[in-house]
Amino acid sequence: MGEAVTTSATRTDAVRNIAVSVRRVSMAYPAVLAVDDVSFELAKGSFLTILGPSGSGKTTLLQMIAGFQAPTSGEIVIAGQPVQSVPAYQRSIGMVFQRLALFPHLTVAENVAFPLRMRRFDARTIPGRVERYLDLVRLPGLGNRRIQQLSGGQQQRVAIARALVFEPDLLLLDEPLASLDRKLREEMQLEFRRIQRELSVTTINVTHDQREALIMSDEIIVMDRGRIQQMDRPQRTYRQPANRFVAGFIGLTAFLPVEVRSVREGVARLRIGGAELQGTVAGDDTLLPGGAAEAALRAEQVRVATTGAGLRNLDTVLEGRVEDVIFEGERIVYEVLVDGFNEHRVRAFDHDPALHAEYPIGAHVFVGWNVRDLLVFPA
Amino acid sequence: MTDRSKAVVLWLLVGFSVVTLSAPTAVIIGASLTSGKIVTFPPDGLSLQWYAQILGAFDLRAAFLRSLYVATVCTLIALPCGTLAGIVFAKHRIRFRKGIQVYLLLPFTIPLIGSGVGLMLVFGAGGLLGSLWPVGLACCAINLPFMIWAVAGSANALDPDLEKAAANCGAPPVQTFLTVTLPAVMPGVITGALLMFILALNEFLVSLLLVDSRIVTLPVLIYNSIRSIITPDLAAISVVFVVVAAMVIAILDRLVGLDIFLKSK
Repeated sequence: MGEAVTTSATRTDAVRNIAVSVRRVSMAYPAVLAVDDVSFELAKGSFLTILGPSGSGKTTLLQMIAGFQAPTSGEIVIAGQPVQSVPAYQRSIGMVFQRLALFPHLTVAENVAFPLRMRRFDARTIPGRVERYLDLVRLPGLGNRRIQQLSGGQQQRVAIARALVFEPDLLLLDEPLASLDRKLREEMQLEFRRIQRELSVTTINVTHDQREALIMSDEIIVMDRGRIQQMDRPQRTYRQPANRFVAGFIGLTAFLPVEVRSVREGVARLRIGGAELQGTVAGDDTLLPGGAAEAALRAEQVRVATTGAGLRNLDTVLEGRVEDVIFEGERIVYEVLVDGFNEHRVRAFDHDPALHAEYPIGAHVFVGWNVRDLLVFPA
Repeated sequence: MTDRSKAVVLWLLVGFSVVTLSAPTAVIIGASLTSGKIVTFPPDGLSLQWYAQILGAFDLRAAFLRSLYVATVCTLIALPCGTLAGIVFAKHRIRFRKGIQVYLLLPFTIPLIGSGVGLMLVFGAGGLLGSLWPVGLACCAINLPFMIWAVAGSANALDPDLEKAAANCGAPPVQTFLTVTLPAVMPGVITGALLMFILALNEFLVSLLLVDSRIVTLPVLIYNSIRSIITPDLAAISVVFVVVAAMVIAILDRLVGLDIFLKSK
């Protein structure tokens, strides 16, 4: 680190153990603001996932951190150093690309050795180091293979080894798992996690896969339309979504348009069609009595039963009719039209269908949930 | 159609193509082996006398060496020009891209005789007529699109993230070009270069206008000879051409694999 140019802000970073600071970064294209005033900090050694739909700006953000694009405004600080004048090839960042971008004319070992050669590591240490990292990603002895001879999963591992072999300050993952089939993807998610913990390398992962984000991350940033919607630990992101977008993007959520009757101590009395409900005001949003709002209800919080007695321990129990049944193997999803809710359906998971009778379409059922699980957002 | 009749039809088509494509070559090989004094097919007895004769003919050997020289000059000029142009066209959104592309492909659309006359006038004004290397330059100018296409084909198939990956690994732009981009488009470069070599070696029409009697290339010499009388030594020379071309294709197959011709878009 150049002592003379170290600003007070960057010195604070070093003291506070911050690996990456993104400060008020924006990226404006002629037609769209791809990244809109984004700021966050990431502690050393932690695993951050930037989660969002396509076009949310998550990839653009990653490209700017990697140095492939320059932000139109704002500052990115990596390991205490502002990097706007540092070209991509001088940043200490390893990256696993979406299509891996392994060098097809080089062998496995040559691919892994490439960053070491380019970064002028002592030539005598390179073979040993390459071997160590091939061991780390569990590809021992495959150094002489050609890239095309490897399976998809093995190629992933080579890409990881190439990104990590020079011990970068930061590892970036640009949706590398998106193209894998489900089984391999789940295996590689755990593998990324294992390697990341083993090396405790600060990692930023970009994905649109909420499951992957929840499984792999210490922190999740949910992005939409260039803005951060929420930055939180996975469990809080899931259980306490900051707004309607996050509630809808993560998990299987039904939204009910409601009218607010009154609010007291975080509990809102609501009306939907001819029915009365109670819900929990999400976050620190303010709801005005008489105003419109939306109530979000996760499918796994809703129980279905043939009698109201089976749902006695729940706060809210209503009657309805099964409109659709979706069999997913380990669970069944019911779509239930609650009496008085007009056309708005509630979704419910039944996780143990073997123990229950399967309700047919048209069956009369009871549905129930707790007031704390019905989250109310301003419309 | 059943699989069997489909196979029969396919084999017939393949057989027909092979026969029609190779018939002229087979005839010329046969004629070159004649022991008689005129070109006939089937040959009038078998001998290698005409090969011995062309081997001993000083003017033929000199013309052949000149053709090799022209082909080498052409390839050496085409290598840097065609490679860089091909990569730029495939990978970069440059200004006037369309215009430049059309301009570089222009030699294809102009009849060779037109290009030949144009080059003759230009070289004449520049005082270059009478030397051999301008013939190589001319061959390069008229055939460069082949080289550009071959390289652009390879460069198009390149993952655009490859260069980013190189930068991410710590390679500055020049290193990235040398260690990643260039090796990745190498199949196209080799293909283009061999194509340029073969085309320049066989080039006739433009060379005819650019050479004089002191620097005739082999195709021009053959043309001059057949205006008087067609002797079997010309058949033997043609066979030499066929052999050189076959060798180039064999090299191509070894280095790159011929399947890139089938896969290229």
